[in-house]
Amino acid sequence: MKLTKAENQLVEKLVAHYAENQSKLKTFLLDQISPVLVNSTQLGECVHSFKWRLKEPSHLRDKLKRKYEECKEKKKRFTITPDNLFVKINDLVGIRILHLHTRQIAKIDKILRELFEEGRFRIIEGPFAKTWDDETKSFFDEIGIRTRQSGPSMYTSVHYVIDSNSRTRYTAEIQVRTLAEELWGEVAHTIDYPTPSKSLACKEQIRVLARVTSSCTRLVDSIFRSHEEFNSSGKK
Amino acid sequence: MKLKKSKGLGTRIAIFNHKGGVGKTTLTVNIAAALAKSGKRILLVDSDPQCNLTAYLVEESVVNDLLDHSDSPDGKTLWSAVKPVVDALGEPKSIPTYEVAERLYLLPGDVRLAEFEQELHSLWGECFQRRSKGFRGTTALSDIVSKTVKQHSIDYVFYDSGPNIGALNRVILLDCDYFIIPAACDLFSLRAITTLGHTLAKWINDWDTISDLAPSTTELLEGHPKLLGFIPQRFRVYGGVPAGHYAKFIPLLEKRIQADVVNVLKKIDETLVPASAFPLRMGEIKDFSSLASASQTEGVPFFDVAATTDIQRDEATESFQKLADAIVKRTGKPASV
Repeated sequence: MKLTKAENQLVEKLVAHYAENQSKLKTFLLDQISPVLVNSTQLGECVHSFKWRLKEPSHLRDKLKRKYEECKEKKKRFTITPDNLFVKINDLVGIRILHLHTRQIAKIDKILRELFEEGRFRIIEGPFAKTWDDETKSFFDEIGIRTRQSGPSMYTSVHYVIDSNSRTRYTAEIQVRTLAEELWGEVAHTIDYPTPSKSLACKEQIRVLARVTSSCTRLVDSIFRSHEEFNSSGKK
Repeated sequence: MKLKKSKGLGTRIAIFNHKGGVGKTTLTVNIAAALAKSGKRILLVDSDPQCNLTAYLVEESVVNDLLDHSDSPDGKTLWSAVKPVVDALGEPKSIPTYEVAERLYLLPGDVRLAEFEQELHSLWGECFQRRSKGFRGTTALSDIVSKTVKQHSIDYVFYDSGPNIGALNRVILLDCDYFIIPAACDLFSLRAITTLGHTLAKWINDWDTISDLAPSTTELLEGHPKLLGFIPQRFRVYGGVPAGHYAKFIPLLEKRIQADVVNVLKKIDETLVPASAFPLRMGEIKDFSSLASASQTEGVPFFDVAATTDIQRDEATESFQKLADAIVKRTGKPASV
């Protein structure tokens, strides 16, 4: 459902408010969260690499419009205001932590919780794992990380939202995923996001890629598991 | 932008200009003394590593003794007070005040405050990183002042600052409720105003970012120094009117302050600049050249100088009293009885 002029004005006001505060969010990201993660040797031992970004204002505009239109269609109130923008939209600051194989997440989760506490950040959402694979789901169940069904996009990763716990509350989204999942994510994000691709072939192939990269992660898991098993039996 | 309101631990004022030789220390001493005379309780904080204020008001042998022992555990200067923070041993230490006159107290300065200033550079960076050490160091001087204010029921605190825009002056200005710009009537003073306004705006904005992102229980500086006005000085006077050469600088100074301080600060927050009822110029101090040097030699405010004429002394007393009254009026405190 198209937005009215006044509704569009609110979206613009929110985007402008974000742009005005981008330098603070940049400090939050680059000086406060990232160093805590990057400087941890413990985390470094089980992480392959880190990525981070601030949301492009134009992407925020698209997201807000989409949300507003959804609200109108479902006859719900659109409740985002400049005062709650940084708490309602959690991915203005985004950090991605990449690792090699699935079982590393147990250790990563433990270290992240410690680091967030030390940095006096509050986890306000998650962790939960988005997955569509039953075997992966039962692994997460086993280590106590809640799971959610991926949905039609087949998107996967473990999510956290942290809060700055300060005078003005800022939030950041943290995603943890394997390198193979990242390959799928990057391709899908480029071709199919934010506007879905209109090519059936591309859509099909991206869905196939999700299965291939999931198998790839599963293969890496298996290699590491075999390697560990072989080493420990060798010592005996 | 939303800025916090004052916490009310003594009204804190800096007579600040990073341009040297504009009479910061002389103005500070004399205004403070005038306020003390009119019944206010005043604390002078010698936060200039050159410690001119301390040398001004304290006997030389005592100053030497203070400086010689400031690094020891029983040290009594501002350096002794902040040293535990620099050494990362904990909270700042309480130091005794030096009673200069009735109701007029001094926290003695120290040449080693230059070392504290070095440390403040990295502590500032640590505030951006939300590290508690950064906040502790950045608010150390303010904490010491707060303790003294409580102890002596101080009404007004005056910081004396060095002529620069360094890390020490940054924490001083951000701790102040008000600042006053002393300005000489010359070209260099005029140029300095531009840097002053923009630097202050950056300090306030940076501190706002730091405060906004600091963990919620952190002790913070107020970060809201309001401009009280400016004081032109050191011009010669003939027949009570500023002489030609100097007189032409006053409107130029006023214009520059309006453009590069008032307008710049106003963009951050309307309450950072004087209410429209108050003219920017708070008063003026003429060149009491012989009186200034005599006052420094004798270590007393102008009105207590022995080696001068009654006329000159009375004239000086009146000028500073007027400024003191203007400060009381502008800071919203009731006039003294």
